[in-house]
Amino acid sequence: MSEKKQRSHKAEMVIERLGQKLNRQVVGSLAACVHCGMCTESCHYVLANPGDPTYAPAYKADKVRKLFKRHYDWTGRVFPWWVKAGSVFTDEELEELKDTVFGKCTNCRRCTLNCPMGVDFATFNRMTRGLLVSVGIQPEGVAVVSKDQWEIGNQMGVLKEDYLDTLEWMEEELQDELEDPGVTIPVDASDCDVLYAINPREVKYDPRSIADAAKIFHAAGEKWTMPSEGWDQTNFGLFSGDDALGGSVARRLYEKVIELNAGKLVISECGHGYRSTRCEGSNWAGFDVPFEMESSVLTMLRYIKEGRIKVDRSRNTQLVTFHDSCNNARSCGLFEEPRELLNLVCENFQEMYPNRAENYCCTGGGGAMSMSEYTPQRLKSGVIKADQLKETGAEVVVTSCHNCVDGLSDVIKHYEIDMEVTQLVNLVANALVIEEKVVVPVEEVPVAVTADEVPVAAALEALPLSGRVIVVADDEPDQVEFLATVLEDNGATVHRAGTGDEALELARREKPDLLTLDLHMPGRDVGEVFEMLREDPELEDLKICVITGRPELRRLIYDRSVRRPEGYLDKPVDEANLMLNVRKILELAHEEG
Amino acid sequence: MEMVELGGKMLEIDEDGFIQDPDLWDEAVAADLAKTEGVDELGELHWKLVNYLRDYYLEFNMAPMIRKLCKATDLKLKEVYDLFPSGPAKGACKVAGLPKPTGCV
Repeated sequence: MSEKKQRSHKAEMVIERLGQKLNRQVVGSLAACVHCGMCTESCHYVLANPGDPTYAPAYKADKVRKLFKRHYDWTGRVFPWWVKAGSVFTDEELEELKDTVFGKCTNCRRCTLNCPMGVDFATFNRMTRGLLVSVGIQPEGVAVVSKDQWEIGNQMGVLKEDYLDTLEWMEEELQDELEDPGVTIPVDASDCDVLYAINPREVKYDPRSIADAAKIFHAAGEKWTMPSEGWDQTNFGLFSGDDALGGSVARRLYEKVIELNAGKLVISECGHGYRSTRCEGSNWAGFDVPFEMESSVLTMLRYIKEGRIKVDRSRNTQLVTFHDSCNNARSCGLFEEPRELLNLVCENFQEMYPNRAENYCCTGGGGAMSMSEYTPQRLKSGVIKADQLKETGAEVVVTSCHNCVDGLSDVIKHYEIDMEVTQLVNLVANALVIEEKVVVPVEEVPVAVTADEVPVAAALEALPLSGRVIVVADDEPDQVEFLATVLEDNGATVHRAGTGDEALELARREKPDLLTLDLHMPGRDVGEVFEMLREDPELEDLKICVITGRPELRRLIYDRSVRRPEGYLDKPVDEANLMLNVRKILELAHEEG
Repeated sequence: MEMVELGGKMLEIDEDGFIQDPDLWDEAVAADLAKTEGVDELGELHWKLVNYLRDYYLEFNMAPMIRKLCKATDLKLKEVYDLFPSGPAKGACKVAGLPKPTGCV
């Protein structure tokens, strides 16, 4: 008792601030671990270092958990030896903790997903990073980047004039490429439908993605703008655990969207930026976001589905695979949309295994790319990713995250894999069909059409589905009637099915051109129905359009090793969207009308 | 930090392979660094780019924007990527003896 251990000022602060960070989610995760070991095999660091228990998520978590038990949980006061309660005293111990929370975990959350107790390790790993940062203990790279984001407003310290100069440059390049001086990259335009925010990496080192996005917005006839300030959608606050930084960065962007009165914020392909801006930023900033936010992946997909842009997938012929970013997929549920888009713009897609929420980190997550001191162990852990990549046999790996682009590039170089890395925006831009004359928006057509042409156009427009046979399969009678009525009004002969078996029977009997398929119907599993339809040699030409209100069921279809559906629609479906998609699937050019 | 032989002398490099002391950089060091970035032979255009990066860094203590680089060297963006397949940030900057760029790269 006489020799009470002295605690350093920093250690004192960390313990005190830990108390302020405890919320229900964190306490739940700190208290719930039963050390069952389910997380161990889910971590790519463990898999790459089988002999080293210090990488196990539960082991790493215990370094934080012991502080909670010792200082904030009653069990640690009553029987500290039993619950392994402990404390920190010196700055050296804090440095060691730093090497664990920054150097041995990328906050990818794969262990969380595999934890039967629901322990969200990444949440309190991030919290611990924040505690250390608050006393100045952090990797140098994190400090530099955070400083730039605080002081200059973006994580690479890009000055406003350089940013604007680069946008102008990309605008000129695009005008040259398309031989169209009308293509612009608008800056600070008010009242636009879309405000587009990017990752500073794009403007500082690789602005090709800015030009590609501009090309797509132009082709879609979008009313869009980029902001002159607050344009950085990335957020080092997510990595450093500094909520104040996170809130400040997010707020700058939100306020700019409001100032310019934009309808929607579109976030370029960046996993942590998307998560920070769309999911976490409003909490950090205490800001009620009054506008819609969307990943550019959804924007591009929407343009194709709505017929606003045309793409030719035969322009992307290489074998591609897709890498799910942890933040996009595991944390934000962006699984199917990128795949759907990829299949629309590429001819050969090969799934990587495991994928979606079970995919492994690129190794560069959680800000790891900016922490050089941990590069050797990061690259060593990359062997798991390297094996996954090699297994696909793909020539190109596509990802919707800038961080993953660099993480994957490092792994590919280190493990000498012959593979390129690219993003969806580049593939979509490459597949983009730009027509010589821009199609005049529908509402302006009457001015351009002469009196003679009107009846012909109207007649063709009236019955675009004449002679087509369509089976509508859905278990909701109202939905069947709605779809059938719209299609019949457009000239199609429609057969109605209420179960998967009925759909199969009608398809085999009537040999329809198209079948619309609900994914949730009584009786036979719809995934199985889909596979049987696909494998029936007599139904080789049958086109299938999935129409579902439960997008999570897409796996029923996409996980099967048969040809994918030609179309995909989310409920509720409106008439215009249905017709647009049906016509596209049946390859009726809608300009013919 | 590790010591490796580059251009006939022992130099300290960081974990990503970037040299630590820009004063020890010379053309022979650049040529050896280029090999680690998949460039076996530095041609005239490579040198133009590398020299610009180095001069800019010595003056401003940071890597230039790709915009400035292209403007000053009269190279197209695509050409930069053709010259250094790993890109201007990791490839060209490393060869020019700059420290690793900060942020998500």
